[in-house]
Amino acid sequence: MAIHRPCGTFDRTYYEAKAIFRTRLQWGMITALILALYGIAFVMNDYLLGLSIVIFSFIVAMLGLQIITGYAGQISIGHAAFMGVGMYVLACVEAHLGWSWWVGMPLAGIGAGLVSMFFGSPSARLKELYLAFASLAAHFIIVYVISNWETMTGGVDGIWLSRPEPLLGIDFMVEHNYYLLVLTLCIAMIYLAKNLARTKLGRAFVAVRDNDIAAEVMGINIFNTKLLAFGIGGFFAGIGGAMYAGYNEYVNVEFFPLNDSIWFLGFLVVGGFGSIFGAICAAVLWKLLDEMATLMTPVFTEILPGLAFYVTASFSLIMYTLVIVIFLVLEPRGINHRWNIIKASYRLHPFAY
Amino acid sequence: MEELLKLIVLGLCMGGIYALVAVGYVVVYKSTRVFNFAQAAMITVGAYALYQALIIWSLPIWAAVLFTLAVGVALGLLVERLLMRPLIGQPILAPIVVTLGLMLMVRGVVLMIFGGQVYGYGEHFLPLGAWHVGFLTLPMIQIYAFIISMVAIFALIQFYNRTRMGLGMRVTHEDHVVAQNLGINVKRVFQYSWVIACVLGVISGMLLGNIQGCCVELDVTGIMAIAAILFGGLESIGGAIVGGLTLGVLQMVTIGYLAPIMPGEPIMMVPFAFMLLILIFKPYGLFGLVRIERL
Repeated sequence: MAIHRPCGTFDRTYYEAKAIFRTRLQWGMITALILALYGIAFVMNDYLLGLSIVIFSFIVAMLGLQIITGYAGQISIGHAAFMGVGMYVLACVEAHLGWSWWVGMPLAGIGAGLVSMFFGSPSARLKELYLAFASLAAHFIIVYVISNWETMTGGVDGIWLSRPEPLLGIDFMVEHNYYLLVLTLCIAMIYLAKNLARTKLGRAFVAVRDNDIAAEVMGINIFNTKLLAFGIGGFFAGIGGAMYAGYNEYVNVEFFPLNDSIWFLGFLVVGGFGSIFGAICAAVLWKLLDEMATLMTPVFTEILPGLAFYVTASFSLIMYTLVIVIFLVLEPRGINHRWNIIKASYRLHPFAY
Repeated sequence: MEELLKLIVLGLCMGGIYALVAVGYVVVYKSTRVFNFAQAAMITVGAYALYQALIIWSLPIWAAVLFTLAVGVALGLLVERLLMRPLIGQPILAPIVVTLGLMLMVRGVVLMIFGGQVYGYGEHFLPLGAWHVGFLTLPMIQIYAFIISMVAIFALIQFYNRTRMGLGMRVTHEDHVVAQNLGINVKRVFQYSWVIACVLGVISGMLLGNIQGCCVELDVTGIMAIAAILFGGLESIGGAIVGGLTLGVLQMVTIGYLAPIMPGEPIMMVPFAFMLLILIFKPYGLFGLVRIERL
């Protein structure tokens, strides 16, 4: 939703009308940002690199939920489970077939997409609230299957897996090389999601979200569109899961509890609906708050000795809920909307109109 | 055969509590059109409030129960006024996210205050022991729990059918604006619905806390009760009762016959598989209103 365009830029050709970045300044800033993200890999320590890798994986997964819920309007309370399916597909491909991460990663995306489509298929008959129940059921069923299919998934013990094999002489066991790989993938997925939203399919998603009967009257096949939304969203979740599992070199059912599915949805609201930038903000904010809660642990250990474990666990639960509720009550359209307002007021600055 | 009968009776007892929880969801959904996922959290609140009053403060039973009910009433008023009223008119996702978040927040608060251990009431609340009827062994707490839930639901139905407020709540269910034009105080109706739902949740919390012990995972029972409402239909109190009893029996039969065959804990998964099946074949449940949509 571009409220205001930069003053004095006009679209004279179709090519200009389609551009994501309109002015030289925007091009310069985005190039500088990407170069900076690549550059800081060599100055950050392992702790910061690890945090960034987690953030990038969750950005990709959050983009998937943004496509399902933000663009296509299908509420999903099972997104963490879809991400988990991605992790386990990668782990099983590596553990049982012996294939490398490079093959497993796209397979993880496709596997999670298929599972997501399967659990999204009730959307043929269900809407809104009822669909949310179906996805809630999906979460419990996926977790049950994964933790009990022991020959395949190793049950509650989880599976060990390995990082990507060296490519072109780059060793991904080194933290900053894996960071660069994940960053590249993340930028590619953001580009993909951004462009998907501007294609015929992306506009069909928005039409289905805003009024599905009107969309059907206009010739959109609602069921196919919803299924595709689930499939593509699940694909993103699976890729994000593969990135995350590759970093940890281990997967476990504990990696995707029901809480995470709920936080996915909650922080999506905080980030803002129907915008890629909102999804990125949401994932970054979530994981930064997560890290803050972890960093608070020593503080709590000092104040309340003995209780620190429970206090840390409950602190993040309470803090997240407060953040989400405050945003919903004060800024229901999310960070993205606020950011647009700031941009617009900067552009108009001395003139208040 | 005896085995099956035993399972069915135990299932009905458990189903009574499911029905009580399910009715709590229905009351709020009927009048406010908000699906209150936080109903599950009210169970935890009720169980721990009773534990606090009965065991830690060692109050007599009647005072402890009154305290717990008062906590339920206060919570209902607070949630309605602070969280739900600003969200009226927002898209459907907003209340879903807020109530889900509230559920996790209650989990957090309980963890912070009580830690993660499992507490029990011991012999301080409902009498322990069992009755022997023929070949059946009926644990007394389960039977009492069933009777108490049925009494609570019966009282609620009487309230709906006999009082002016109950009539107002039924009108509000039809259409908020029409109800307002007819002179019904819709805000007051919302307030009453939340208070009633929270009190029902707190009662089921006391009963469940007695049966399963107070722990943070009590709210999973509340989430499982969602399957019961879907079976009966989201708008129907009778449906919620039927659904709750069915779910209880189904679960007990699962424990008896499926659990030896299936790995892990099928008892957790069965309600959700059941829910998915209902959603596919009967999306509005047995007694739910089928929504007709127009452009």
